[in-house]
Amino acid sequence: MHNKNLYGLTALFDNPDKIISVAKKTSEAGYQKYDINTPYPVHGIEKAMKLKPSKLGFITLVFGLTGSFIALFFMYWTMSIDYPMIISGKPFFALPAFIPVTFEVTVLLATLATVIGMITFFFKFPENHHPLHDTNYMKQVSKDKFGLVIEASDKNFDLEKVREFLQSLNPLVIEEIYHKEKENNSVLEPKFLTLLFAIFLVTSGTTYFILNKLLYMTPFDWMSEQEKITPQKPSNLFADGFGMRTPVKGTVAQGFMPYLAKGQTNPTGILDNPYLITKENIKLGKSKYLTFCSPCHGNFGEGDSRLRGQFPNPPTLHSKRAQEFQDGWIYHVIVNGQNSMPSYAPYLDVEERWAVVNYIRVLQRAKNANESDIQLSKKENLKNASN
Amino acid sequence: MNIDYSKETAVVAGRLSLAEIEELVAKPLDTKPDKKYFLALSISGGALMIGAVCLALSFYYGLGLWGNNQPIGWAFDIVNFVFWVGIGHAGTLISAILFLLRQKWRTGIARFAEAMTIFAVMCAGIFPAIHTGRPWLDGYLLPYPNQHSLWVNFTSPLLWDVFAVSTYFTVSLVFWYIGLIPDFATLRDRTSSKVKKTIYSLFSLGWRHSSRHWQHYEKSYMLLAGFATPLVLSVHTIVSFDFAVSILPGWHTTIFPPYFVAGAIFSGFAMVVTVLVFVRKIFDLENIITMDHLEKMNKVILATGMMVGYAYGMEFFIAWYSGVQAEQFVFVNRAFGPYAWAYWIMVSCNVIFPQLFWFKKFRRSIPVMMVIVILVNVGMWFERFVITVTSLHRDFLPSSWAYYTPTLYDFGILIGSFGLFFTLVILFTKTLPVVSISEVKAVAEGAQPSHHGGVSNA
Amino acid sequence: MSEHFEKQSIDNSPDPNYWRSFKELYNYKETIEKKYNEFEEGVTDQFDPNENLSGLSRRKFLALLGASAAFAGVACTDYRDKGEIVPYNVKPEEITLGKPNFYASTCTGCNSNCGILIKTREGRPIKIDGNPEHPVNQGKICAKGQASILNLYDPERIKSPLRKNYNVFSETEWKYVDDNIVNVLSTVGNKEIALISHKINSPTTLKLLNEFKLVYPTAKLYSYELFNNSTRQSAWKKSYGNESFPLIAWNEAELILSLEADFLGVDENRVENSKLFAQMRDVDSKKFNRLYVVESGLSLTGINADYRLKVKPENQLEFVLGLISELKKKGVISTSLEFNVNLNDVVNNLNLNQKTVNYLVKDLSDKKGKSLVYAGDYLSEETHIAVNLLNELLGNTSLYRKDSLKLNQYNLSAFDEFSELVNKINNNQVGAIIHLNCNPVYHLPLDIGYRNAITKVDNVFSLTETMNESSQVSKYVLPINHNFECWGDFQSRTGLISLSQPAIMPIYNSRQLEEILLTWIKKDSQSYNDFIYHDYLKSNWQQNVYPKYSNNLSFDKFWYSALHNGFILTNENVVLNLNFNYSSVNFKNVNKTNSGYTLILKESYALGDGRFANNGWLQELPHPVSKITWDNYAAVSFNTAKELGLKDNDLVEVKVGERVLKIPVFVQAGNADNTIAIELGYGREYSGIVASGVGFNANKLLTKNYSFSPWIYTNVQINKVSGKYILASTQEHHAFDIPREQDLHFKRHIVIEGTVAEYINNPKFISEKHHIEHESVYKPFEYKEVKWGMSIDLNKCLGCGDCVVACNVENNVPVVGKDQVLKSREMQWLRIDRYYSGSPDDPKVSTQPMLCQHCDLAPCENVCPVVATTHSPDGLNQMTYNRCVGTRYCSNNCPYKVRRFNFFNYRDHFRNGYQENPVLALLNNPEVTVRSRGVMEKCTFCVQRISDARSEAIRQGRKVKGSDVKTACQEACPTNAIKFGDINNSEEEFYKYRNHELGYYSLSELNIKPNVTYIAKLRNVHSEEL
Repeated sequence: MHNKNLYGLTALFDNPDKIISVAKKTSEAGYQKYDINTPYPVHGIEKAMKLKPSKLGFITLVFGLTGSFIALFFMYWTMSIDYPMIISGKPFFALPAFIPVTFEVTVLLATLATVIGMITFFFKFPENHHPLHDTNYMKQVSKDKFGLVIEASDKNFDLEKVREFLQSLNPLVIEEIYHKEKENNSVLEPKFLTLLFAIFLVTSGTTYFILNKLLYMTPFDWMSEQEKITPQKPSNLFADGFGMRTPVKGTVAQGFMPYLAKGQTNPTGILDNPYLITKENIKLGKSKYLTFCSPCHGNFGEGDSRLRGQFPNPPTLHSKRAQEFQDGWIYHVIVNGQNSMPSYAPYLDVEERWAVVNYIRVLQRAKNANESDIQLSKKENLKNASN
Repeated sequence: MNIDYSKETAVVAGRLSLAEIEELVAKPLDTKPDKKYFLALSISGGALMIGAVCLALSFYYGLGLWGNNQPIGWAFDIVNFVFWVGIGHAGTLISAILFLLRQKWRTGIARFAEAMTIFAVMCAGIFPAIHTGRPWLDGYLLPYPNQHSLWVNFTSPLLWDVFAVSTYFTVSLVFWYIGLIPDFATLRDRTSSKVKKTIYSLFSLGWRHSSRHWQHYEKSYMLLAGFATPLVLSVHTIVSFDFAVSILPGWHTTIFPPYFVAGAIFSGFAMVVTVLVFVRKIFDLENIITMDHLEKMNKVILATGMMVGYAYGMEFFIAWYSGVQAEQFVFVNRAFGPYAWAYWIMVSCNVIFPQLFWFKKFRRSIPVMMVIVILVNVGMWFERFVITVTSLHRDFLPSSWAYYTPTLYDFGILIGSFGLFFTLVILFTKTLPVVSISEVKAVAEGAQPSHHGGVSNA
Repeated sequence: MSEHFEKQSIDNSPDPNYWRSFKELYNYKETIEKKYNEFEEGVTDQFDPNENLSGLSRRKFLALLGASAAFAGVACTDYRDKGEIVPYNVKPEEITLGKPNFYASTCTGCNSNCGILIKTREGRPIKIDGNPEHPVNQGKICAKGQASILNLYDPERIKSPLRKNYNVFSETEWKYVDDNIVNVLSTVGNKEIALISHKINSPTTLKLLNEFKLVYPTAKLYSYELFNNSTRQSAWKKSYGNESFPLIAWNEAELILSLEADFLGVDENRVENSKLFAQMRDVDSKKFNRLYVVESGLSLTGINADYRLKVKPENQLEFVLGLISELKKKGVISTSLEFNVNLNDVVNNLNLNQKTVNYLVKDLSDKKGKSLVYAGDYLSEETHIAVNLLNELLGNTSLYRKDSLKLNQYNLSAFDEFSELVNKINNNQVGAIIHLNCNPVYHLPLDIGYRNAITKVDNVFSLTETMNESSQVSKYVLPINHNFECWGDFQSRTGLISLSQPAIMPIYNSRQLEEILLTWIKKDSQSYNDFIYHDYLKSNWQQNVYPKYSNNLSFDKFWYSALHNGFILTNENVVLNLNFNYSSVNFKNVNKTNSGYTLILKESYALGDGRFANNGWLQELPHPVSKITWDNYAAVSFNTAKELGLKDNDLVEVKVGERVLKIPVFVQAGNADNTIAIELGYGREYSGIVASGVGFNANKLLTKNYSFSPWIYTNVQINKVSGKYILASTQEHHAFDIPREQDLHFKRHIVIEGTVAEYINNPKFISEKHHIEHESVYKPFEYKEVKWGMSIDLNKCLGCGDCVVACNVENNVPVVGKDQVLKSREMQWLRIDRYYSGSPDDPKVSTQPMLCQHCDLAPCENVCPVVATTHSPDGLNQMTYNRCVGTRYCSNNCPYKVRRFNFFNYRDHFRNGYQENPVLALLNNPEVTVRSRGVMEKCTFCVQRISDARSEAIRQGRKVKGSDVKTACQEACPTNAIKFGDINNSEEEFYKYRNHELGYYSLSELNIKPNVTYIAKLRNVHSEEL
């Protein structure tokens, strides 16, 4: 125990009355950096040492209040602002129901703050390298002795004077306490690196298992795999692997009639347009035409395909022949297809097909309108403009 | 022996010196565990394993393995929860309330009671977690930002529970740990084993018994006690809300909070006595955990027992007085329905037997108090059973009435919880001082300065 | 180290007394020793506390923390694909993904031939609804019909033809089977080919069978039904001379006296009957019929009676004759016929309630011509004749429906014919037996001896969907299509022919029964193709039906529209001659009042004659009266039970002649004393996993030579035997003897009832008594838009349970099994509560459908910690399955206990994963979550239908209306007791019921503001009864 710098001088005493007087004397002697160590709190010592009352209470108060405020506000925000929901018809901010949690959070924050504040802020703990540790002095005070330590850092510390002063208090023993030298530990120790590696394996392994395996097992998969067949879901139950089946040939679903004119060359006899030309009907026809027909037939039916010749262009719908088509025939073509034009039956229901037919008629008329038509449309426009 | 109650009796009997106290308390930690210890440990450990297995199976197959059914959604799971939370109330109560009331005699038992509190709350905490149908999603009960962008329902008593119980556990733990710090330091300085020294040093955080620290320390202890007291009351109040806030006849009662708190103290003290009686014998701490301490606790048991009895009576009165048919039916059904047996077990154990404590002779006789406190524990478990199950099994619609029969798994898990509790207790007795060394030292004879002390030396 | 310190402290120790305590310690030997060897040497040598304490510096700790976080991040890289999709190559015209299609077809569950709409999604049947246009059931369909979809997907259907050698079945090819069988059939020579079938309702099938006979001249067709109306028919023949009896206009009868008839429960056309009956239980038109039920066992019809008399079946003839003579005495009716029966004697002998009988007589005379006496199929021919006579004399024949008579395509074979067949077999005159989708081994009375005889025939061919007792003893078992994979036509009454079309191609390698026969007729296994019968049927219609009923339509149009509608009306003019043949009236078996026990074998409400035994939904459908599931039982009255010292679940031995059956007892309130009622259809030996070990086979008790009627046996012995058998009921058995548990449903205002008279006097009598205005602490949330609500008219609700099954099918409700029902963990979202009041002898029964009430102030919501159940802005109480952690708190706090918890993954738990079979995935409604283990669930008001309606409304650019949505239960309810709609919309019809003067909320005192309104039940009793 030499060539170390001195921490301070300690003296041991063996009864509470003694230590009180020692404390008085030391403080009167004008020492600032001194401390009394006792195995248990001795009443009245703080008076003897002239300590100021503890300020701990303020931490508690501040954090307690913060706790209640945070809790209340958080509940208000979640339940009334962020994601309000109707729960038992209660108002979104049901104060009575929020009291218990507010109270609990207050207590939690207050207590934790108090303790942590004390330990870190007041005590500067953890501190296992304090010079006093592992000294006989410390052993004795933590058993049944009462000790005084005067630190070397005290402004009016002088080894000899202090020793005299302590002797004057006739202690059991006087001991000099020295600082320990700091030990260093770098991050790059092999031991530590292996530890890191182990942790790497464990964390990444478990995370991987949980995120990519566990969460896809029932019942952990949030019902993402259910024993039901949603549209377009495959099913290995059938040879073709389709979950969706096709209706049996020859059956008739509600609201559908099989197309009686299938494959007939001149079905117009049994097909006459049941729909009058109305605004709605034309609107519908237009939207369907633009969706399904225009890519090939062009927006105005002139056969100007938007497919840039990747598909044979159809003839214009304004040819004499096309204008003389019966509605039935156009309908028939839409349902059956013609030459390289496929059937559009699956995509257009009966009403929509007739609507398209009507719209084609409109296009044809518009394309080669006569004088009266123009007058008419002008009138229309004026009417629209006026109101 | 008889005692003169007019003057405060010595907390520590047998005029022990400080060093002797320390020795006495620290002895179990220094000595190697003997066969009996391992026997006890293996028994409790076995019980724990049983519970663990039952739990694992229920987790794998689903709650269907339990007896719970359509009307009786809650049974053993919640019964055990409330039971253990109740047990968990004595500790903090003793250390906090008695501290505030400047009851010196608490020092002998406080540490142990607190430890039991923590263990009991651990046991309790398990049940809300496992009673859910999808335990792996329990995290949903915590308000954390998530993909559903959904928070929790702060109007639900169960959620209050989450906050109450977790807060209670944390605070108790902190409270307990704070009390332990000086003892850790003491142990650190007296042990000769390097391993132990390391551990003790870590936990003592480098405590130096400095008076400058003692000052804050005592302050904080006082503050904590101040908070713990209302906390204790709030926790069981909130637990009682689980029932009281519902609309179920037999649950929907305003008397529940005080009734539950009284019950909790009742069962808590009973459990503490049960365990202490053994501990003081085994670790010959008779001088520190004296007969007076036990007697005082028995008095508390008697008092709280009668409060509980009052609550039983009052429930019936209110049911009758309310004039609500369903309400009246439930209580008549409790006493005379299919679950009458449970009801009468409860009444006899909680109200009738404790009356023996009116007699000092019984208060101070170990065997008698053993029998009674164990009965009280049983009775209090049944109280929770009666409240939970009998209210549920016949509620509003006679069409959905049913009977509840527990399965082996229910019992297994109950046993398991006891296993956990006692395993922890047993480990505790060998690893930490079962009595607070510094506190007991502080109340030992001549530990505090005599009033003229300072002067004489001057 | 330590000793060093101690030494030191010893050295500088000036104060001796300081040593006092420490010395003692120092001399404390044990301690010192322990101190030294408390750790073995070496363990702690190279261990420096200081180094270790600082082992984990802050720096390192942070390093660790950062590292692990980073590594965790690394592990979250892999993403799993969400599975591929397979779209249609060419989308069929009628299919729009996510939208259902409906195919009109015909139900073959029983002989009523109700019209159905098969609801398909992407070409897969997922639900059965009634066909609204169909005259028989007008959009309604019974529980069996609803659940029959489960049979379509039954995993235990036979997948391909089976061939038995050495008593083991092995799969084989159709070609092989056809060739062999054709070969066998063409080489039987003059031996008979017995074709055995259930009742044949299809004209085309009959035509086919006749052709079969032409090809195989020795073929003979037998047909049977375990339960049939043969007695009614023969009685009718004797009374009125013609085969086919008319159906009843229940909606015109003001007074109904039902004798042992369960016309609302299991009788044929019960859906139609219920609908018509309920039209006379109407609170709007204030039209109420009065129902007297005279029966032995409490039946579904019985629980709906206004007055009920308990009479043993064999005494009911006597009772009717008593009535006749009484009415004659009173001069109400005039007839020359004399029966020496005096009603008072009857009343005394049978100790009937005199008052009730007087009322009955009075009403019969008052309501002359508007009343109807109806005898049940179980009763003897004589009783039926007596009833015909009484109706004739009272002029009630006006209530016979002239338009539609019951029609028989082919008369059922009597038991004698089967005995004849058995003799032929024994004399080795039978070359082959073909079971056409029937199960005679199980159904026919044992003493016919068919069961043994059949083993002597080595060419037994069974055409069946699943294995059964008869296929078990066959050489070849040929899988046939389920009805929903079949073409067909049906005519079981005059006035209409129903059609059925397949909704899906055969799932397995099965063929339609008719197709198989056709192939055999053609004697060429190659001749088969998938449309062979479709073409046959079509051509048959073109030749025979079309010419008769064509109304200047092309045949194609005619055929397609017929298929589209599912039926055609054949407005033929029916001749119903109603001149009573009085010579038929001579009764021998009168005055047979005997003290012995009488056994009545009834048809099971759920399983029919047992053909639905393997259907879990039906097995778990609670019995409408006893609420028992998964079993049949011997129901006895309280007195009888007392006599015999029987309690519920005791085993008894029922002995009819030398035929014995061991079966558990159930003490049924309201049963007639000394009668034992057992339901048939249970105790199947060879059936699927579901039905195995369920119930007891009471068919054993049947005999061919019965004295009274095939289903009723007198002088039966019953005695208690040791042992118990626990029956699983979904409702705790009502305790009649504990006063505090009496009439709770009235005391607690769960059920509120009145009488018609009260209502007529003061229409507001319910609301005046029971309306309570509550105050709420909070201002209630206001629902401005559409808000959904339901009303249930308890006058119309018969408690049949059709809605329950409909709900199961619509909402993917799993089957949980008997063990779970015993633990009261059934999962049905909708249940029918049954309450008794009064004495066990003559209980008053109230039924109440109970489902989630979607309360505005729902108690379940505020207790859920994770907001898994909340209210939607349109007033629904929602369950968020994925958020639910399963605390079950909501269920505890639900006063109606309508919440259901998945204690297990029931699809996995029931019969080890039976419901997890991939084929059942086709059955599940794609719009409804298949709930996992640990999740709470409950009625959603069919929210999937609501959102469908909403999206449709949006497509049409309007707001959704209440009338857009029909819930599954509402669709199914045969009496339209359930109404659903928008509470806020005063224009709708629903609004009227929501705010009906008879409307009330169950448990309204709780002030939780339910959205289900119950219309109080009115009992049509005589006003002076008040």
